[in-house]
Amino acid sequence: MHLIPPTPALHAGGGCPASPGARQQALPPPLALRGITKRFPGVLALDGVSLALHAGEVHMLMGENGAGKSTLMKVLCGAYRADAGEILSDGVAVPVRHGADARALGVAVIFQEYSLVPHLSIAQNIYLGREPRHRFGLVDHARMHADARAVMARLGLQLDSHRPVHGLGVAQQQMVEIAKALSQHARVLVLDEPTAALSDRETEKLFEVIAGLKAEGVAMAYISHRMEEVFRLGDRVTVLRDGRHVATLAAGDATPDELVTLMVGRKVDMSYQRGARPVPGACLLDVRGMSAANGVQDVTLQVHAGEIVGLSGLVGSGRTEVVRAIFGADRVTAGEVRMQGSLLGASPTQARRHGLGLIPESRKQQGLALLRTVGDNLLLAGLGRLFPSWIYRPGRGHATARQLIARLRIATPGPRTAAQNLSGGNQQKIVIGKWLVAETRLFIFDEPTRGIDVGAKEEIFQLIDQLVHQGCAVLMISSELGEVVRVCDRAYVMKDRRLAGMLSQDQLSEANLLRLAMHHA
Amino acid sequence: MLDAMKKAASPADGMGGASRFALHVGGVPGVAWLLLGLGLVFALAAPGFLSGANLHNVALQATVLLLLALPMTLVILTEGLDLSMGALLSLCTVVLAVVQIGTGSVVLGVASTLAVGLVFGLVNGGLVAGFGLPPFVITLGTLGAAQGLALMVGEGRTTMGVDAGIRWFWEGAPLGIATPLWMAAGVWAALHTLLHHTRFGARIFALGGNREALRFAGIPVERSLVLVYAIAGLCVGLASLLLAGRVNGGHPTAAIGMEFDAIAAVAVGGTAFERGKGSLGGTVLGVLAVGVMRNGLNLLSMPSSVQVAAVGVVVIAALWVDALRTRGLA
Repeated sequence: MHLIPPTPALHAGGGCPASPGARQQALPPPLALRGITKRFPGVLALDGVSLALHAGEVHMLMGENGAGKSTLMKVLCGAYRADAGEILSDGVAVPVRHGADARALGVAVIFQEYSLVPHLSIAQNIYLGREPRHRFGLVDHARMHADARAVMARLGLQLDSHRPVHGLGVAQQQMVEIAKALSQHARVLVLDEPTAALSDRETEKLFEVIAGLKAEGVAMAYISHRMEEVFRLGDRVTVLRDGRHVATLAAGDATPDELVTLMVGRKVDMSYQRGARPVPGACLLDVRGMSAANGVQDVTLQVHAGEIVGLSGLVGSGRTEVVRAIFGADRVTAGEVRMQGSLLGASPTQARRHGLGLIPESRKQQGLALLRTVGDNLLLAGLGRLFPSWIYRPGRGHATARQLIARLRIATPGPRTAAQNLSGGNQQKIVIGKWLVAETRLFIFDEPTRGIDVGAKEEIFQLIDQLVHQGCAVLMISSELGEVVRVCDRAYVMKDRRLAGMLSQDQLSEANLLRLAMHHA
Repeated sequence: MLDAMKKAASPADGMGGASRFALHVGGVPGVAWLLLGLGLVFALAAPGFLSGANLHNVALQATVLLLLALPMTLVILTEGLDLSMGALLSLCTVVLAVVQIGTGSVVLGVASTLAVGLVFGLVNGGLVAGFGLPPFVITLGTLGAAQGLALMVGEGRTTMGVDAGIRWFWEGAPLGIATPLWMAAGVWAALHTLLHHTRFGARIFALGGNREALRFAGIPVERSLVLVYAIAGLCVGLASLLLAGRVNGGHPTAAIGMEFDAIAAVAVGGTAFERGKGSLGGTVLGVLAVGVMRNGLNLLSMPSSVQVAAVGVVVIAALWVDALRTRGLA
């Protein structure tokens, strides 16, 4: 379960697809893909995939990372050009070469990766390239902001439309992204994991909007890793695997186990089996009364060797900020942070030297040099340990990289492939591998499974398990309550940038976590 | 002073608040403080600095630099750089002088220098957009080309004695205000309108801030890039009118290294070399800061070598303070 409690009421309010659906049935779908094939150097990303999006339907797309979902969406919106196959608009084959072509067909996309311009205002971002203009060709700012406010109001987004987006939080940026797509009045809307960064309230708002669009007859393709969303929103589900179309089912006929089986192509037990945990050893991380410049107040927590400790709380409750302060990325203003007795808080470099490793939430921005090779990225944090004499020995670097690739089962043609060519799950493994080289004792994970498919998730949990058996410790931020309960030995819960409490092993349950996180003190 | 700067910069979204005001100087108060500080220092150290005549002189002298720094701001906003500006400006003054004196026509002279500026700008933009090579490298190449051409066309020496019609660009004063000031104000107004009141303006911010956003919005990135560099070239052509009017001719090394001052002014003015952050208002203040410093050091009889070094030091100091300030706010 996720922090979003399912409300069955919306299912009914979502509008029964039968009435608009039946009317549209005779018509060709507003958008269909036929036999789409897309190759990247060394990878067949899509192999003859066909898909139809009907008016008034929410078509869920599922698949492991690297299954081709995002590639398919990028072909659909004109960001990539298919090597073979065709796109049909109302049953007629049309060329889609650029974003502009897709837009002319009425396709709008809510991107998972933010396509916002930091120093432009919210309104300017929503209308980028489509700014309303006066007679003289100048931008009509008044109208642009009024229109933007109207779209934002529809999403319940209460922000000044003049604010530049660079100051907004991740969730707010995602909402702006959604507003941008909504403002295009599209016939076909593509949503790529739109709720991954959203809070409870924002997600509800989005679901309401989706229900409204459905009633208006908009065709939607919705990529999600969350089963609950699939069954709550979806009319049909298409599963992709290794770039191929595996199955399209009516959501009502499918079960979660069935979908998972289709995705991974073999039977997996979705519940990760927690093995016996080592007895907690010495205290590694000792945080006492820590307040930080980023707003965190009076946080006290300990992590012992061999422990997996959760850091839970709603989005925006200050979890990431706690971790940033511990790691020395934000200034500690009161209290102290000790790692194995040594005082920390000066800089990330110092934290790293004392055996702390941070696997950040936005791995693309903070965890990886995307253009560099897998090997380079793996070795980045451990250069000092690997080559204490300051002399770089390519053979040793290469061998270490190969070992890590094998140990972490990173799916890459080799250490020389650019990190950006790998799927999200595999990129996450690189970030973990990077810290393994650096002989990290305490791993801090910030949303380790965000945007990662089921199979890769289990692998990451097993990896975390391995780490603690080797005497390391793990502090893990997660929005997925179920994940915290299943994986962690105990968990701290944040609320309003303060610690709301700690749940020991026997108290740890989704209900208790949620209760603490939402507790009105 | 740091405290005051922090206060001036808060709230954290100062940039956003400022974007509602015409001047767009909010969010970059660092440069305003720098200008004030420099003014104070020279007012105390250099007698005559505060005289009306000298201040008018500072403003007048700053106009040529402003005509380079304003378009440089646009270029830098796109994560680009135009190193060819100084050499191109020299070339333009030579072409202007040679054509005007050769044909006796002021109009032809003006047209030729604007054409040369525009062509070089188009070449810069075309190469940057077409080859996807770093603008640094491309414009370093065109810097060499422009410098060489200037020496060829001018035969290595100064071409003196342009028509009074050209000198008017420097000496004239329609409605009692010097022509260079009119031109500087005109270019500022035009570029400000372009940046904040046209679709193209948002694209300039997006080119540096998030190029992918443009691609996904279905906007051809290349065309916008070419246009930015073309505008820069054209502005260099305009600047050559002032410079040629001022020195009464053209010289193949008249504006050597002026791109350095222009980049310095933009940087001091708070425009970042990444993420599409910056403003024209900041650049205006940056140009004035560089101008005040050069003028003040001149009054103190410092050689130009010291001036160049001083500008360099101030640029680094300004960027450092700016970084501290941003970090403090983050």
